[in-house]
Amino acid sequence: MLWQRLITVMDEVDQIIVRTTFSTILSEGRDFACILTDANARSLCQSSWSTATFTKVYPRTAKVLLDRFPIETLRDGDVLATNDPWIGTGHLPDYILLRPVFWRDEVVAFLGTVSHMSDVGGHPAEIESHDVFSEGLCMPPFKLYEAGQENELAFSIMGANCRVPNLLLGDLRAMAGAAKIGAERITAFLDDYDFDFASLADEILDRSEELMRARIEALPDGRYEYGLDIDGYIEQAHLHVTVDVRGSDVYIDYSGSSPQRQDAAINSAYNSTYATSMYPFKCALAPETPNNEGLFRPIHVSAPEGSILNATFPAPVKARAKTTNNINQVLFGALWPIFGENVQASGGGIWPLVLMGHEPDRGTYLVDMLPHGGRGGMPTLDGMVPVSYPENSTITPCEILETDAPVLFHRKELWPDSGGPGRHRGGVGQVIVFEHVGTRPMVFNLTPDRITTQPQGLDGGAPGRSGRALLNGDELREFPPIHLQPGDVVELQLGGGGGFGPVEERSFEAIRRDVELGLVTPEAVEREYARSTEAAEAAA
Amino acid sequence: MSTVTDVRSRRRPSRQRGRARFRFGFDIGGTFTDFVLVDIASGAVRTYKTLTTPRDPSRAVMEGWRALVDQADVGAESVEMAVHGTTLITNALIEREGAQTGLITTKGFRDVLEMRKEMRYDIYDLLITLPEPLVPRPLRLEVDERVTASGEVLRPLDLAELEPIAHKLRKEGVEAVAVCFLHSYRNPVHERAAGEWLRQRIPGIAVSISSEVAPEIREYERTSTTVSNAYVQPLAETYLRSIGEQLRGEGFEHNLYLMLSSGGIQTLETAARFPIRLVESGPAAGVLAAVFYGKLIGESDLVSFDMGGTTAKMCLIKDGQAAMASTFEIARVHRFKRGSGLPVQVRSIELIEIGAGGGSIARVDELGLLKVGPSSAGAEPGPACYGLGGTQPTVTDADLVLGYLNPDNFLGGRMALSLEAAEEAIRSVIAEPMGISLLDAAWGIHQVVNENMTAATRIHVAERGADVRRMRMIAFGGAGPVHADAIARALKMRGTIIPSSAGVTSALGFLTAPASFELARSVVGPLKESRLDELERVYRELEDEGRALLAGAGVSEQEMRFVRQADLRHAGQGHDIVLELPYAHLHGVDVERDLQPLFYERYENVFGHAHRHLSLEIVTCRVTASGPVPALAIETEEDTEALPVEQAIRDVRDAYFREAGGFVATPAYERARLTPGATFTGPAVVEEKDSTAVVGPRATVVVDRFLNLIVTFE
Repeated sequence: MLWQRLITVMDEVDQIIVRTTFSTILSEGRDFACILTDANARSLCQSSWSTATFTKVYPRTAKVLLDRFPIETLRDGDVLATNDPWIGTGHLPDYILLRPVFWRDEVVAFLGTVSHMSDVGGHPAEIESHDVFSEGLCMPPFKLYEAGQENELAFSIMGANCRVPNLLLGDLRAMAGAAKIGAERITAFLDDYDFDFASLADEILDRSEELMRARIEALPDGRYEYGLDIDGYIEQAHLHVTVDVRGSDVYIDYSGSSPQRQDAAINSAYNSTYATSMYPFKCALAPETPNNEGLFRPIHVSAPEGSILNATFPAPVKARAKTTNNINQVLFGALWPIFGENVQASGGGIWPLVLMGHEPDRGTYLVDMLPHGGRGGMPTLDGMVPVSYPENSTITPCEILETDAPVLFHRKELWPDSGGPGRHRGGVGQVIVFEHVGTRPMVFNLTPDRITTQPQGLDGGAPGRSGRALLNGDELREFPPIHLQPGDVVELQLGGGGGFGPVEERSFEAIRRDVELGLVTPEAVEREYARSTEAAEAAA
Repeated sequence: MSTVTDVRSRRRPSRQRGRARFRFGFDIGGTFTDFVLVDIASGAVRTYKTLTTPRDPSRAVMEGWRALVDQADVGAESVEMAVHGTTLITNALIEREGAQTGLITTKGFRDVLEMRKEMRYDIYDLLITLPEPLVPRPLRLEVDERVTASGEVLRPLDLAELEPIAHKLRKEGVEAVAVCFLHSYRNPVHERAAGEWLRQRIPGIAVSISSEVAPEIREYERTSTTVSNAYVQPLAETYLRSIGEQLRGEGFEHNLYLMLSSGGIQTLETAARFPIRLVESGPAAGVLAAVFYGKLIGESDLVSFDMGGTTAKMCLIKDGQAAMASTFEIARVHRFKRGSGLPVQVRSIELIEIGAGGGSIARVDELGLLKVGPSSAGAEPGPACYGLGGTQPTVTDADLVLGYLNPDNFLGGRMALSLEAAEEAIRSVIAEPMGISLLDAAWGIHQVVNENMTAATRIHVAERGADVRRMRMIAFGGAGPVHADAIARALKMRGTIIPSSAGVTSALGFLTAPASFELARSVVGPLKESRLDELERVYRELEDEGRALLAGAGVSEQEMRFVRQADLRHAGQGHDIVLELPYAHLHGVDVERDLQPLFYERYENVFGHAHRHLSLEIVTCRVTASGPVPALAIETEEDTEALPVEQAIRDVRDAYFREAGGFVATPAYERARLTPGATFTGPAVVEEKDSTAVVGPRATVVVDRFLNLIVTFE
């Protein structure tokens, strides 16, 4: 009960962030987390919609921040911060803030936020990059606020190093403001219920660990392997996993994966590999238990140093999600035979896009959109229509984007026939077409996914269709920052998910309904569902 | 199965100033339909409660009208006003029983409705499903028109394109159609033209256009609202017209008003065009009633708790007001989980509603745990003890077994409850499978439902940063007074308030509301001096619309009141706050001197800091147009003769209080015989015709001069 009240406080902080931040990636995209820990930086709870991987990295980062600024030196109103990729979430845009909560003159808890800032300086490229230095300003652990006072030097350095200072500084102030209100709520909570966070943390973490161990224990021991080609950048990359399930422990090893890349920011630092590796286990084994690190104590992750999943400083890491978003698919590929119905085939991926520029009448603008392809099929369900996965975010409405930037959307609609056929079809992807309707060049940054590889099916399901990005009808294959000229038209085709189970097991009813809804065309039924005995009939 | 209660029967009828004048309120809930008739001059309230007749709701309505108006010797012509609230709109959406609906969008955007916000409402549950869109893909049609973000027409609408669409809609048997074009909140010209054309060309099909239903930015939410409106429009129209006609047939000559989710009221004609604004009308009325009683009693901070047959509604009232929200989510598909329903841009009183009512069904889940709700036995078949064919154990069955309810006094004794049937249902479905005693099973049901409601209340209250320990819970609805005692204790509150005729209190809320209309238009852009004329024009237009609506509701020009609000934000920010403008017009108002400081101050109050170096943007202009607050004078007679409290004890029966060790001999008071000043202690039950109040041990009950029970915990 009391735990639920703490979650409610975090939900309130979450709401304040949505309502007070400036960049669309936070206020519309919701790419952030807010987390409460005890005084030893062990997580107690987070807001219900917190970005999943952020909540797993955060306790690791908090411990580093507290090594640097020991707890006994902290004052009320201090806010510690960093965006160091190897301390934090693996790339510079994510700022981690930590505010001590004082009660009776003692630090009893920490209120933290992790948020994706839309501008941290650096070159405007998302993927093309040769080292982390060019990707923006790195702030090692520092005090953003000292006893409630803004660190003026830090603010002015950060402001001087990005293109739209109000976005970064405004959002940092908003995050700190939300943390302040959260800290006040926690204090009020403690005034109501004299209460020991450390023993609550013990209980939550131990019980969660126990639960996860019991669930792992129930899985058959053994070694499970899977390899998956992913887009990489221009050149494909390979992810390989070996999972050993032994008693109540799981050992994940990524040996056999590609080496880190020097020419593209698709490298994952260990922290982000670790955090994203937990997700499939949480989904399959303990979806109902509030997320906390106790659950993950039995799960051990290793990746060869210098590989794409354990990249070493100063490797370029800005677009790491292009790689880490596939980790769940590799793990599901290995573990689906023992994970029951809580698994899914590959999806069409997330395609972050950023538009920025300057117009005489509207000034400088910078907007984000986080559209998704279709989701993979599952043992008992078809894949969903485009919906965020494996993280959680919301799509910025076209009406908002058109209000904030000189763009005009021609289409944003489902893409028929893009879902992989199977007993359970992959979800269809979507097509987005927009035009630059301003008067000056616009910088367009896109991080597409699954354009040179297909979203794979599982258990015999067929792959979904690859995506494509086109500029004025010509297919794009490289993604440096593109300078759109007024009148340029961009078309994004975000692929569908892979199917689950053999296509010949798809029911007549399901195929007919797909055709009726226009998600699968009759021609595609003939072409791709031919092995299904009933398919011919359905097409007719 | 119903009863007339004259709760002020000890008062003299008011015949002093000629013809008596009355107001009539009725609330159709999932299980019961409640009625109140108020004598405007004396404030005397008469109530009636009967089972809802789901197949033809007007049957119960007519029964109530006749019982109160005809049989009570009140002439139909002396009823000046009738106000109605209903859950039928919400239920049609939850149960997907609305019209076959079509959607017309800007070319390229028909799938916005299905792709929603591309967000999952649960990150870790891979098996979640999204609600089916109310309009299936083949009925989502497009026209090649375009208005830009600044409101300019980029591609004119060609009405000829609507020809094949109209043909298809007719062919597919569509009964309602929604039109939602991009940026229509900014410039509605295309939507209006399309709407008019459709209304003329396919007159049998109800047309909803987004610029009328919800003229606010964000295409998904606006489309979802407009589609939801269209989906329930044919049903609402038929139903509202039928009720209006039947009341007229009974001799009722005046306007029938509908209560809105926002607590305002609207004419039947407007309500039939925008039925989506009625989604929370019943719960809103309950909150208004709670506010009304709070004022009467002099408690401005309260938690209202309204528990009926199907759901329980909790609302925090602070400083005599409930908070308002500008969006609302209906028909959640996943255990009331936020994000799993259909969002609608409807101004509504912010309350929390969960599937916990007297009719909530108890079961043992796959893990062997006892679960209660959210599904309800409703009015048909109802709880097992109703003897109407229900075999599933419900909360009411448990309450009967625990001795809280008197089987011979339900609905004033017009409906006998079967204790045997209740016991049998609880024994076979809960006690035996779980291997526990009948009594433990009944107590378990009672406790689980109380815990559900306690947790929901706690979240609702915590989200608003309130401390309830200094507050009381005001409880009403048929089951509210049975459960409030335990919930208020779990929340460590001071005590409870049980208004008289608690079983129908929310219907009384209808009669405390002024006629009120909310108008809004999005005008996204910088808030600067050069735009004030444009904004003034928008506000005037909204006020003119409001004036016309109020006039239609019979409000005279002198009594009209307009409040202007603006949704403002820092330039570049994603979300806004609503600011009331203390100006009747914007002439002579200075942005920097007057408006910015107002905003910064309010913003700082809410969020702890403002960015004073940033300029402002305005998103939406809002106008609330309202008429006078009806005078509802509930007063007690000064010369009521005080009766000794012992005389009010009807009998002493065994009721279960675990903290007192189990079944305890508990006095059952007859509410109608309690007079102001009467004082007694718990444990006790207080019976009136349409509800029963349970008071646990270690509590004192005082009857105040309005005949409310004021319960204080020790």
